Amino acid sequence: MNIVLELKRGISAELYKYRRTFVLWLLVLAPAFVPIINFIILFKKGDQIIKEGQNAWEVLLGNTIQPGNFLFPFFVMVIALFVNSVEHNSNTWKLIYTQPISRLATFISKMKVYVLMVLFSLMLFAFFSLMVGYLLKVTSPELGFDQAFDKSLIFQACFKIFLASLGYASLQFALSQKSKNLMLSMGIGIAGVISVMILMNGWEYADYHPYGYHIFALRDLGEDFNIWSNMTTVYRSLIVALVVFGLSGWDMVRKRIV
Amino acid sequence: MSKPIIEIQGLDFYFKEFKALDQVNLTVPTGSIYGFLGPNGAGKTTTIRILLDLFHSKNQQIKIFGKNLLSHRGEVLGSIGALIENPSIYKHLSGRQNLEVIRKMVGVPKSRIDEVLKIVRLVDNADKKAKNYSLGMCQRLGLAAALLTDPELLILDEPTNGLDPSGIIEMRELIINLNKEHGKTIFLSSHILSEIEKLATDVAIIDQGKILYEGKLEGLQEKGKGYQLTVELDQVDEAAKIVRGLNFTVSETNSRTLVIPIEAKTDIPKINKAIVDQDIDVYQLKSSDEDLESIFLNITKKLDQ
Repeated sequence: MNIVLELKRGISAELYKYRRTFVLWLLVLAPAFVPIINFIILFKKGDQIIKEGQNAWEVLLGNTIQPGNFLFPFFVMVIALFVNSVEHNSNTWKLIYTQPISRLATFISKMKVYVLMVLFSLMLFAFFSLMVGYLLKVTSPELGFDQAFDKSLIFQACFKIFLASLGYASLQFALSQKSKNLMLSMGIGIAGVISVMILMNGWEYADYHPYGYHIFALRDLGEDFNIWSNMTTVYRSLIVALVVFGLSGWDMVRKRIV
Repeated sequence: MSKPIIEIQGLDFYFKEFKALDQVNLTVPTGSIYGFLGPNGAGKTTTIRILLDLFHSKNQQIKIFGKNLLSHRGEVLGSIGALIENPSIYKHLSGRQNLEVIRKMVGVPKSRIDEVLKIVRLVDNADKKAKNYSLGMCQRLGLAAALLTDPELLILDEPTNGLDPSGIIEMRELIINLNKEHGKTIFLSSHILSEIEKLATDVAIIDQGKILYEGKLEGLQEKGKGYQLTVELDQVDEAAKIVRGLNFTVSETNSRTLVIPIEAKTDIPKINKAIVDQDIDVYQLKSSDEDLESIFLNITKKLDQ
């Protein structure tokens, strides 16, 4: 059996097993959280928040990306935990790894579904944020959401966040897969986020911290706000992801499955 | 003799320094119900995990269906159904959905799910959530999942473990049915001999990583031809010494009795006389045919002495 067919089977089984689970709701509800709050704030106090001469869409984008960037790693942690604990809790590692699909394909199936979940939620987040703008255009025309703005910027920014998040996302996935203990992956994840928050205020090597790549990725974009101008941390994130997913897969291929 | 479906030769396996399997040789005939017996921690589950490539053995001494396990992994696993220890079931899904997850991995037609549900008699409960299943139902669902690919070989690790008597009987009937009606070879591990006795055509006994017996069940019974003498007395330790002095083995002692396997009834007065001569009071002598249970205990205990 070739790897493409194995992956197709592995992924469709993987997607199926999340039926009627909390994670599917989380994938839809979590991205709605910040946009809903943004809508309420801008609807109530928009006239104070959006200053004269500012583009309303830019303000919305700022208010979307900043809290999103802070909250997103926690979301990734939960998803990583969930896709692995579904096997830990039901004792099914041995079940899926005794099927006639190569270990590598089974590993990649889970990894791919995880990465797609993260991407899906981010794109939904961008979509919801856009909807907030359009909704405000109707409900509060005075705020200025009729101004010209390249709406694709929201999607581009979220896609860049996705790429720059793959680094720590791979770490969270590997930790959650390796250990049943959720305190370990949660603890390391939270320590990662908090330490980067502290270190980014001065430590010169903070740029190398994998839990900060997505934040740094949208800094220093220059006057013309070109999302794709500064790619250093994106590349770093992709390298970390490649190495960590690679090691994690290698471990899964050779380890003893109990 | 039919050709073997599983052949293991000289298999060693280590957990760090600990030698879990020591030169294990097994030959499982096609079409048999093969009972793999041993006390807890003897190496049964380790052997089974190696057979399923959950643990990798370093050198390739395993052939299943005449093919090397490691070089034909996908092909071999595709023709094996396995049920390993405690059930592997997604509790948030129904029985049918659990089977659907596996069905998607193995790529058999959807209709196969109803067929296997019928075989394990779970049709009525198929749409209940698995978290509401009894242990017996979980085991049967596990078996249904193992049957999806219509495998030639079923590897079942302690399939009756933790089941109540009616669950055990149901599982036993199912196993016999799968062997007789569906022609499956069944490799079955257990630490309960009476279970294996009712099912198996062939047995292997493993203890501390070593195979102590392999062959037909009847062969094992013959091996144990002889009697078992139970002596009731007060000074057990002293009497045990005397009996060992006569070149008998003592298979069991407790506060008031000695158990001694003997070959002929003429040994009974010999033993009695030797004990009484030492002024030890004997309250009762009881001899019985050795049953499989005691043969098993004898075989696995001999190493300790």
